[in-house]
Amino acid sequence: MIRMNRRKLIPASAVIAAASLLLSAAPAQAAEQGVTASSIKLGITVPMTGIASPGYNKIPGAMKAYFDYVNANGGVNGRKINLVVKDDQYIPTLAVAKANELILKDKVFALVGTLGTASNKAIARSAQLSARGIPALFVNTGFSGFADKKAYPTTFSLLPSYQMEAKVIGKYLDENFKGKKVGLIYQDDDFGLDALNGFKQAKIEFDIKIPYASGSQAVAGVAGTWITKLQAAKPDVVVLFGVSSATAAALGNAFAYKYAPQWILGSVGGDPVTLAANKVPPAFLAGAKGFSFAPSPADATDEYIKMFMDVNTTYNKGVTFDNNIVAGMTSAFLTVQAIKAAGPNLTRAGLIAAIEKSGATFANPSLTPFAYSATSHVGATGYWIGTYDATGSLKPDGGKYTVYTTDSGTGAVVTSTYKRPAMPAKGLPN
Amino acid sequence: MHKFKATNFSRFVGFVILGFFLVYLSNTVDELRVYQGATVAMYVIAISSIILLTGYSGQVSLGHGALLAVGGYGAALLRNNFNAPVWLCFVGAVLLAAVWGALLGVTAARLSGPYLAGTTLALAVGLPSIANQFKFLGGEQGLIFEIGLPPASLGEMFSLYKWFFWIAALTALISMWWLQNLLRSRYGRTWRAVRTQSVAAELAGINIARSKILAFTISAGLAGLAGALLSMTISTVSPGAFPLTLSFALATGAVLSGINTLGGVIIGAVTLVAIPDIADAIAHRIGASENVTTNLPGLMVSGLLIVTVLFIPNGPVEQHRARKARHHAVLTSTKK
Repeated sequence: MIRMNRRKLIPASAVIAAASLLLSAAPAQAAEQGVTASSIKLGITVPMTGIASPGYNKIPGAMKAYFDYVNANGGVNGRKINLVVKDDQYIPTLAVAKANELILKDKVFALVGTLGTASNKAIARSAQLSARGIPALFVNTGFSGFADKKAYPTTFSLLPSYQMEAKVIGKYLDENFKGKKVGLIYQDDDFGLDALNGFKQAKIEFDIKIPYASGSQAVAGVAGTWITKLQAAKPDVVVLFGVSSATAAALGNAFAYKYAPQWILGSVGGDPVTLAANKVPPAFLAGAKGFSFAPSPADATDEYIKMFMDVNTTYNKGVTFDNNIVAGMTSAFLTVQAIKAAGPNLTRAGLIAAIEKSGATFANPSLTPFAYSATSHVGATGYWIGTYDATGSLKPDGGKYTVYTTDSGTGAVVTSTYKRPAMPAKGLPN
Repeated sequence: MHKFKATNFSRFVGFVILGFFLVYLSNTVDELRVYQGATVAMYVIAISSIILLTGYSGQVSLGHGALLAVGGYGAALLRNNFNAPVWLCFVGAVLLAAVWGALLGVTAARLSGPYLAGTTLALAVGLPSIANQFKFLGGEQGLIFEIGLPPASLGEMFSLYKWFFWIAALTALISMWWLQNLLRSRYGRTWRAVRTQSVAAELAGINIARSKILAFTISAGLAGLAGALLSMTISTVSPGAFPLTLSFALATGAVLSGINTLGGVIIGAVTLVAIPDIADAIAHRIGASENVTTNLPGLMVSGLLIVTVLFIPNGPVEQHRARKARHHAVLTSTKK
């Protein structure tokens, strides 16, 4: 047995007393998880590896690059932003495990830019984001369900909803391909079903619809059968509404089968750099229609794109600039403004309130109005339509961005008169 | 010295004391550990189901992940379609998986060794993707499985993670208590007899096929229970939750625990939960790339498996017992 004499006992008990004092004092200091006087910890889970990862795995790097740029210029309200990145392989259950890890182990302040409809839904439920008041900022999905503030009170979406996109595509089809045969390839989950709802609103009847399974099921093996089915049904126009990997597989097989209808690429899978990296020759995209809500990444005359390019060159060395970089930096850019707007006494509730109050006026590259308000957590609300050129870059039809805006309900698709706010000096909202 | 002999009653008391200790523990450690504790409890059941099947009845399964999936989907369907209470969902999961197990067992009883391993492996690959074929199973994104908030009487500060842990730990304790009684019963002895000397067992009047099918059925029921718990902790059930790697991890966990004894099951379960954490810490320290970080846990599990098979093939608990027995033998021989 350990013996302790009285002389040893006194310092020992003093140490214990001091330690317990420190321990009990600690929670009083900590204001909000993940926030200190000099730092803010944010977390993201995205497919960094696996089938759906191409393109999307560049998003965290782009966000980090912009945060690094802000940190190098003094941070936000004196705090530097750290981003913890987790790989969920586009598997919802893995995303849940990773989100729990971010919240419980890494103790992040908020989630930002989580990718995937199914992943976001599963995380919101399992990690109890609403009950714990954990903000999920600028999620990388256009699922219109996240607009339901009751079900997702702490989630803010950035992308226009898939319903909005389908409605804009529907309007385009109606105006340009009336009476023609139309085909559709879509993802057989909430992502695709949301789009189907939008097409229904736009009264588009498809002559052939090909669903594909997301996630763990490889699309590479089956994409050939899509093309065979399309060749048999002979649609004049084919809408490809899938993730990058599925879009690449469809186009790659079409190229191999020398099948060339008029392609219409949804914004999710329509990034030419990602497609090129997946062996779709840029020239094969020429003439295809594309949709975007941000300026084209090739458009260096745009002040935001120019600034993002510079940040990418300095802080994200060797990574090719594309739509995914623009998307990542846009979320980071908005995050910085939201944190700034929440003030020096940063809390989760304060952050959410700040976006609800002034999110609609945050500077950002989007060419469409933002719908953030006390009653809406929806970001961008529309698209411009363009055509891919022979180098694979998307050029706006008519030489300038004509933006169509709409909602996720029965509202009409109208031409937007929105003027976006000017970029803050040097792209630094702080 | 009078040697302490464990009786049924003392074992029951042991489980109750362990239960109280776990309640105490869940109130002292942080939320992450509580959440991991729920996963450990789930693994305890899943691994013991493999130990029952392989260690006691001598049948190999590399596809237990598929049976977990059956349980998970069963529980979710009951909950979502019939609004069944949580305990009933778990019972349903056990029964559904057991029925599957019985069907499988009929096939399995005709196969042995690598053929059985191959068949179960195919099951692990194939079964979860069935969900993609049927709308009511929710496709790749699966189904929601929410057990609801903890009862208000537990207080406002009682987190859902702790609720998960309480349910999982209680389920694991009950299953383990029941299982260790079962293994001490006539059935347990029959299984051991069939595994070690099937010809002798048959001569002694044991129906080998029936005994094997029964083992498969019970093992599958336990796996189904583990599947329901797994789905509970992540609030969803989807094909992606039951990958091939899960089946392999469970088999590895069983080897680490010691395939022939239930005593070490907690070792395997804790190891499976701890490895991703340890791998993460290592990858972080050496500043490893994304690829290394992703693959390190798998590498560590495989490495541990090899080391275990090489040095302690019967698992740490059995090894310890064997050493004690040897020690005892040496003592008694020197006394003479």
